[in-house]
Amino acid sequence: MAQTIIGHGLTIEGEITSDDEVTVAGTVRGRLSSEGAVIVDTGAVVEADVSAGSLSVGGSVTGNVTASDRVDLLTGGRLVGDVKAARITIQDGASFKGNVDMDV
Amino acid sequence: MARSTAASTNANRERTESDFASVLASGTRVRGRVRGDGDLRIEGHIEGDVAVSGDLAIEDGAAVKGDVQAANVTVGGELTGDVSARGAVVIRATARVAGTMGGSEVSLEEGASFDGRIEAEFDLPPELTR
Repeated sequence: MAQTIIGHGLTIEGEITSDDEVTVAGTVRGRLSSEGAVIVDTGAVVEADVSAGSLSVGGSVTGNVTASDRVDLLTGGRLVGDVKAARITIQDGASFKGNVDMDV
Repeated sequence: MARSTAASTNANRERTESDFASVLASGTRVRGRVRGDGDLRIEGHIEGDVAVSGDLAIEDGAAVKGDVQAANVTVGGELTGDVSARGAVVIRATARVAGTMGGSEVSLEEGASFDGRIEAEFDLPPELTR
């Protein structure tokens, strides 16, 4: 298991790169890139450009997002920034401000 | 996605995976500052200072370049930097460490590579203070 968990209460300022899944329940500022999934839990704060295989947002993300597969904005999630992804879903109750580029 | 991030309250030193609120896995690299509450297990690479209120474990295969601060610190991997622990510092046999180790107690297992100073704060037993 090579899963990274940034727990509630933990803050990382800088650049994070990973070759596997990253779950954020705390705070990340800077840049976050993963070859796998990035999961931003409810209550998490990400002020960073995110590049990932897929991104699921239940917390707050401020920054530009690039996903090779998909972006899912969940109920209660908040995303401010431009999204570049082949697939995107925005659930009822999610907040979003930015542009979407589905590469068509 | 519900995950247990509750801080472990048991005083037992033997910890299992789920006791650590935060994990930086082996394929993960961080360049920057890591700080906050709870325990942290590092299996990947960190360039920068680490400060957590809980326990810190630098596992075999992990590498940290920077100063670390935590309650108890266990090092099984590579660490270049100073350690400041409120509790114990344990340097395991697999560790390669360079820096000043500060803690209430510091232990060094046979086989560990260590280059630096040990500053353990403790009272000498009465027979040695005469």
